Amino acid sequence: MRKLLLLLAIPMMCGAADVPCTTPQACWDLLKKGNDNWWKKGRRLQHPNQTPARRRAVKDHQAPFAVVLTCSDSRVPPEVVFDRGVGDLFVIRVAGNVLDKHATGSIQYAVEVKKYAKLIVVLGHQRCGAVEAAVEGTKLPEPLATLVAALKPAVEASKNWPGDPVENAVDANIYLVAKQLTDAFQKDGAVVMRKRYSLDTGVVSDPQPWKP
Amino acid sequence: MGKFVRPLVPGTTPLGCWEVLKQGNENWSKRRRSDETAASRNAVQAPFAVVLACSDSRVPPEVVFDRGIGDLFVIRVAGNVLDKHVTGSIQFAVQVQEFTKLIVVLGHQRCGAVEAAVQGLKLPEPLATLVNALRPAVEASRHWPGDPVENAVDANIHLTTKQLTDLFQKDGAVVLGKRYSPHTGEISDPQPWKP
Repeated sequence: MRKLLLLLAIPMMCGAADVPCTTPQACWDLLKKGNDNWWKKGRRLQHPNQTPARRRAVKDHQAPFAVVLTCSDSRVPPEVVFDRGVGDLFVIRVAGNVLDKHATGSIQYAVEVKKYAKLIVVLGHQRCGAVEAAVEGTKLPEPLATLVAALKPAVEASKNWPGDPVENAVDANIYLVAKQLTDAFQKDGAVVMRKRYSLDTGVVSDPQPWKP
Repeated sequence: MGKFVRPLVPGTTPLGCWEVLKQGNENWSKRRRSDETAASRNAVQAPFAVVLACSDSRVPPEVVFDRGIGDLFVIRVAGNVLDKHVTGSIQFAVQVQEFTKLIVVLGHQRCGAVEAAVQGLKLPEPLATLVNALRPAVEASRHWPGDPVENAVDANIHLTTKQLTDLFQKDGAVVLGKRYSPHTGEISDPQPWKP
């Protein structure tokens, strides 16, 4: 096991030089700044690390500074909404940003095995189609039905929250997924951030507070 | 669940859509990038391609295909393998919402998950389950000449493409298996399948 860990650690050390942040908070600040470039008046997208030089720099070893779990929706590409480039974000995308063994296993690979980053961002978004389907209780074919069923706990938890049921379930899902990831990876020093993306404004913000 | 209103998409046939992606990848690998603007962010979702790619930070589809908001419905998981949630996501895009008929399976050179499967490393759960899903590709390519990791990457592209074709051909979907080189930035065909 020790030999294995050493083997896995070598590429990590090789790539460590170009990690732009060292604490989860500092890494989040970078993402926040990138998101500001995306939506704030007077700010411009910088497209950092989207050059052939960067491509060559990370061709042998990646050293992403954050793990992002988000939706497959075409309007939420993390590299665009956080204004980042190649080699920056280890990204898991699945409709409704729900967990299963493969999604959690991917995060485990990045956080626990390769130790790329300690920051995990759960990024839900406004008007999520998968959450909508879960709220409406639409009859769906398999295997999509299994995916949508994974969103039911969020729908149940937010059933009595005031306001829009879809937006409430989007927020509840962010909380529930973040909780599962915290339980799984807190022991590795991981910090899980709960965030929601607005399709209307491009802003990444906190979800509404959890209502018990 | 109502269907989205479909605004103009840049390609109307699966292969027309692939031409758009191919052009974008040439922009990326030859460095002529177009510039998405914040103005494009309010677009209604009408993606013209579904892309299944790896979580690897060096393979963001929007960058390597030089596309922006609303263009690509993207599933990313280590090793770009299928499971119920991944296939269900593709089903949502192709069969339920009928966004597009083009599905691209994008493997990449030196994939860490494939490497782990080839090396047979002992890994913790649930990562072990994910890496196990890559075993058929490792098995299938065991006797191919050349690098075992690159061979398994290609075999995985072929196997995944086959599974998605079997599932979504009836919906008119065209599944293209492609491989990305983080070295050159280029997207090309995997080596031919060897029985």
